[in-house]
Amino acid sequence: MLSNSCETKPVSVAVVKPSANAALAGRLLGREVNFPAGLLGFPDCRRFALASLDVGTEQPSPFFVLSCRDREVSFLVIHPDLLVQNYCLPLPNEVLGRLGIGSECQVLPLLIVTARERIKAITVNLQGPLAIGIDSGIGVQLVVEEYPLRYPLIVK
Amino acid sequence: MLILSRRAGESITIGEDIVVTVVSVGGNHIRLGISAPREVRVLRDEIVQAIKDENHAAANAADDPRRLADVVKQLRDKASERSGS
Repeated sequence: MLSNSCETKPVSVAVVKPSANAALAGRLLGREVNFPAGLLGFPDCRRFALASLDVGTEQPSPFFVLSCRDREVSFLVIHPDLLVQNYCLPLPNEVLGRLGIGSECQVLPLLIVTARERIKAITVNLQGPLAIGIDSGIGVQLVVEEYPLRYPLIVK
Repeated sequence: MLILSRRAGESITIGEDIVVTVVSVGGNHIRLGISAPREVRVLRDEIVQAIKDENHAAANAADDPRRLADVVKQLRDKASERSGS
């Protein structure tokens, strides 16, 4: 239903199928990422750095860490492709404009992970995804009401 | 907070180009029509508040790499379980 609702959006609404740009995260590593409006609830967190998260396991971790440079706060994030199929980000032209880019192909979507006491209770926020312009390094937290706020990281 | 009384069909204008119209009133339910430029995000407040709360709950989740190593292992186990089945 969700992917259908994405596909049936008007022409001005571009939809990202992120499988095509999973590798693009690498292009943002080590660069400053700016969220001009901050994140929701963190309006003063504007300058961030994206880093891979190495937790010392044999295989690479699927996570990245988005660390704020304005204050001591960071977020654990994951690319939607590693979690769900057909997650699509509605990107109308005004959002592309805010990200300073011309095409939805240049957007890196990331989802924020919420840690919980029990590992199986850890959730990922599909409702408030981050969209980052690869070339511009500008990001915004979107609100996609149709998606769940708490989606399990480890699906039974 | 500015408080205004409006009847169904009446509107208020915010700034230059945002118009909020009371479409209908019934019981404790009000339908609003909002006309705003496309770049203005119009969202239900409880959704925004829930995401703010979730962001606060999510902050600094990467501070415990040892625990995250367990998380990564469980994810791998789950993935291999699935591909094996």
